[in-house]
Amino acid sequence: MELRGFSALLPCSFLHKALILVGVSLLAVCFFVLGCGGPASEDLGTAEPFEESSPIAGQGGASLQVRSVEAEGGSGPTSSPGSSGVPVQESGGGGSRPASAKPSEKFVLGDLIQPFTPPTWEELQKVEWIDQPVLDSLQLLRERQANEQPLATVEEALRLMNNSPEANAKILSALGRLPASDDEVEWEATIYRHTAADVKSTNPLMIDSTIEFDVIGLTGFGLFSFDWNFRPFASKDAVVSWQTSKDRMMDKIVMRRDLVWSDGRPITAHDVVFSFKVIMSDKVPIPAMRSGTEQIRWVEAYDDYTLVFFHKAPLATNVWNINFGIIPKHIYEKSIYEDPTLQDSEYHRRYEESPVCGGPYKLVSRSRNREIVLERREEYYMFQGKQVRDKPFFRQIRFKVLPDPTVSLMALKRGDIEEMILTAEQWVTQTNDADFYRLNTKVYATEWTYFYFCWNTQTPFFRDRRVRQAMAYAFDYREMFDKILYGLAEPCNGIFHPTSPWAPKPPLPFFQQDLDKAEALLEEAGWTDSDGDGILDKVVDGKRVRFEFSMLTSNVPVRIAIANLMRQCLERIGIICHVRPLEFTVLQERTRSGDFEAFHGGWGTGADPDTAENIWKTGEMRNFGRYSNPEVDHLFELGKREFDLARRAKIYQQIHRILYEDQPYTWLYFRPAMYAFNKKLRGYTFSPRGPYHFGPGFGAIYKTRLLP
Amino acid sequence: MNKTMVEARDQLAGASTESGRGGLEAPGSRGFWAEAWIRFRRRRLAMIALWYVVILAIVGVLSPAIVGTRPIVCKYKGRIYFPALAYYNRRWEPAIFFRDKFRQRYPENLKKRDPTSWAIWPLVYQDPYRRVGENEWPGQPGNPTGAQGRPNRYNLMGTTQEGIDVFAQMVHGARTALLVGFVSTGVAAAIGIFIGALAGYFGGWIDIVLSRLIELVMCVPTLVLILALLAIIDKPTIWHVMLVIGVTGWTGIARLTRGEFIRLKNTEFVLAARALGAGGLRIIFRHILPNALAPVLVPISFGVASAILIESGLSFLGFGPPPPHPSWGTLLNAGRTNLQMWWLILFPGSAIFLTVLAYNLIGEAIQEATDPRLREAGK
Repeated sequence: MELRGFSALLPCSFLHKALILVGVSLLAVCFFVLGCGGPASEDLGTAEPFEESSPIAGQGGASLQVRSVEAEGGSGPTSSPGSSGVPVQESGGGGSRPASAKPSEKFVLGDLIQPFTPPTWEELQKVEWIDQPVLDSLQLLRERQANEQPLATVEEALRLMNNSPEANAKILSALGRLPASDDEVEWEATIYRHTAADVKSTNPLMIDSTIEFDVIGLTGFGLFSFDWNFRPFASKDAVVSWQTSKDRMMDKIVMRRDLVWSDGRPITAHDVVFSFKVIMSDKVPIPAMRSGTEQIRWVEAYDDYTLVFFHKAPLATNVWNINFGIIPKHIYEKSIYEDPTLQDSEYHRRYEESPVCGGPYKLVSRSRNREIVLERREEYYMFQGKQVRDKPFFRQIRFKVLPDPTVSLMALKRGDIEEMILTAEQWVTQTNDADFYRLNTKVYATEWTYFYFCWNTQTPFFRDRRVRQAMAYAFDYREMFDKILYGLAEPCNGIFHPTSPWAPKPPLPFFQQDLDKAEALLEEAGWTDSDGDGILDKVVDGKRVRFEFSMLTSNVPVRIAIANLMRQCLERIGIICHVRPLEFTVLQERTRSGDFEAFHGGWGTGADPDTAENIWKTGEMRNFGRYSNPEVDHLFELGKREFDLARRAKIYQQIHRILYEDQPYTWLYFRPAMYAFNKKLRGYTFSPRGPYHFGPGFGAIYKTRLLP
Repeated sequence: MNKTMVEARDQLAGASTESGRGGLEAPGSRGFWAEAWIRFRRRRLAMIALWYVVILAIVGVLSPAIVGTRPIVCKYKGRIYFPALAYYNRRWEPAIFFRDKFRQRYPENLKKRDPTSWAIWPLVYQDPYRRVGENEWPGQPGNPTGAQGRPNRYNLMGTTQEGIDVFAQMVHGARTALLVGFVSTGVAAAIGIFIGALAGYFGGWIDIVLSRLIELVMCVPTLVLILALLAIIDKPTIWHVMLVIGVTGWTGIARLTRGEFIRLKNTEFVLAARALGAGGLRIIFRHILPNALAPVLVPISFGVASAILIESGLSFLGFGPPPPHPSWGTLLNAGRTNLQMWWLILFPGSAIFLTVLAYNLIGEAIQEATDPRLREAGK
């Protein structure tokens, strides 16, 4: 199985759930947004939660990171194909759990790990180590905000209607700030959060979608985090020091000694080693792929608090691989032999219902498909009578499960929930009245989630690069931005967002509709109307083929509208395009097996550009369009091995440029993150992965006691 | 109400000329169908329903002449063309317009490329498949999108979320509704009558097998079966939807036909036909069927209503004819998510309601007009 890239498809369909496929610990990656959209896009009806997977940082930045991505939406299951992988299942509502081992076969802990004899402690002393950052994400945010002047006062921001970019900037800067002093925080507050679906498991190793991630990111323990610029660091809440060997083959971590599980037992290096072995056990049904942890050769605990990770190769991506979910060894070390699924036996079910948590919050109750209640852990921030970490801002977090976006919006307006993702439709038409602004406000921010048409380069139509370029010239971008996306989305011309360091500088021009150019390119590629029926044709392999193909899309109104717009544009130049909306799982199946001519989908971003590798490298499982360019393959290999940030960025910029020329996708737009927050909430900031899935993310959000 | 062959023939004659002669003849010589027509005409609601259906049929058939962006007739470079036919079948669009790069924008290109050309345009310049942009038709603004799309003088029934005219979709959707109603009920009637006739006429093991088949099909939830069938089909079109509705909707008709056949097969006129040497098929279709038809018309009429309803339901669920096929159900589905856009609910909703109601009224009236027992009870 793979751990490394995960993707999920985001379907957007009815539920939104995302699936994440996460590896357990991986960091973020891209997600495939196939379907639905997340926040922004959505049409009504479907709201999708956004799903991402990412790391989250809990309060204080500890985090779990997930590397995968997710999918949104829907019902879908996701799978993440990764490079090697086994698809992951599931997601949505009822997913299937990977098969568990037969009881008769003996369980071997860590059977996927190759034998390795770690060096002795004495040998390690001779290694040359380079210090790596150990940071507190909340502190980072505080420092950033110290240099930013709020554009408006809180009172002004609360009165504003968010109907212009200026208003949005004012609201974000005034309400997104951390508290100036502890007196501003309502420490006994409860926050009512929205989730589109119930979690399938509360075990950090079983994270499968952003739904789980949202919850487990708060209850789980992690050593690493990354900030809004996707800069990775060890979390100061958990780690004393982090060093990498000069040859990049080892990472040494010294953990803090004041960490305890919610049952009072200390969190030690042995828990991390045990978790690594559990993930690397064949019979444990890890939903996400193991590709990230697979890159680790060995993890050794030299004492209770000193850990060394040994890598298989010196890669720039190792820093993401060593970040995986951690479970308490003392709970599972014996029981896993009886029940490798970690969730079927009565003993495991008990811990599934009330898990032993290592994060800032613990799960106190859960009524299925209705509510999940988390409570602040005193022992997380207090140790032997002293405060040792930031106190989490909420006493209680209640996740309300509301699958339907229309219902969620009503609940939000009533105050039953205090935050939710808005669909584009809701943003534009249903959140402008006093009824909405009575209790809430809304904000949007750029998110690196892009949507595209994928052309199957194995079909006679799209084999030729000129045809794919013609597609890019044929599409009416203006109509899409103005009329279908309400002017809320940003244009996209490639795999990286223009503000990302990995996008070419200066930015490449965006395509504009130019039917003359499209026709000229098609003619050059041999597509003409030779039989006078108004439809282009060409002789391919001795047979006359009409330019008529199907465009698959998920069954979500915005997606269908965009596919339909493409259909109209192509019809004008003599190409017949049949739009086929499909249920998300069917779409996913067909895209994965390559059984399509074109489809409309979306991808989220990973924290590292390498996560795009399994979309573009020849033969990778998420390379649905079967695109192949040896130069791109080579550049991805180089990128993984390059540690100099500027040189590394150049490599990915080059990939972006090549893909722009080859147009294996027609890139359409970046979907913004659109959220509604209760007016009592403060401290929300956004990363390119939305407001939660980075450090500090949710950990910076608090309820104010200063109410005007 | 045993009938003789002669009566049966009368009925056929009456059916063919029903509306022509109806009430003018002396009561004694009126045939069964003429009699039924008179009674039908006495029901005012049924007549209104009938007129409604007729007008709807006309609207459906002439939809490209009512709303569209292609001329009904035009003269271009010395020849006459009918570009509006493309709304019936895309291949009927004259190739010259593609060669001359009209790109589906007729008003400006006709003038530009041939100043002497002329054209007769549909009553309303709108398109059921796409948003009409600004100044495509001289002086007409682009269609508004989203909640701004309320009914106005250019968009009589408003526009959808994406700015596609609702009136155009309603009118072209009438063609879909009509087609679905008649084709799928036609399929259902053909299957139902054939199977019902075989089962009723031959009896014995044929009847047992066919009756079990009918029961089997009845047990299958229609909607689920339709969804399953549509999932299998690679490129579903409106024809598949109609076929599937027809293939699943024939059981009621089959049962009624079977009942009628069992009743009629032992009557004297059938005996007489058999005595004269008529074969099985001839007796079934020439002799019994015309007499069994009246009760069967009732479920057929209801069948049209339910087919329209099923099609709308499928579209509402997103499993209807693939986009961009206009369908009332698809419009309703678009309105479901945003109740502010009331025109997306009101117009297609009323159209579906009225059409289904009309077919039901007609069915009921046929039933009462052709069934003597009900007729007596009604008096």
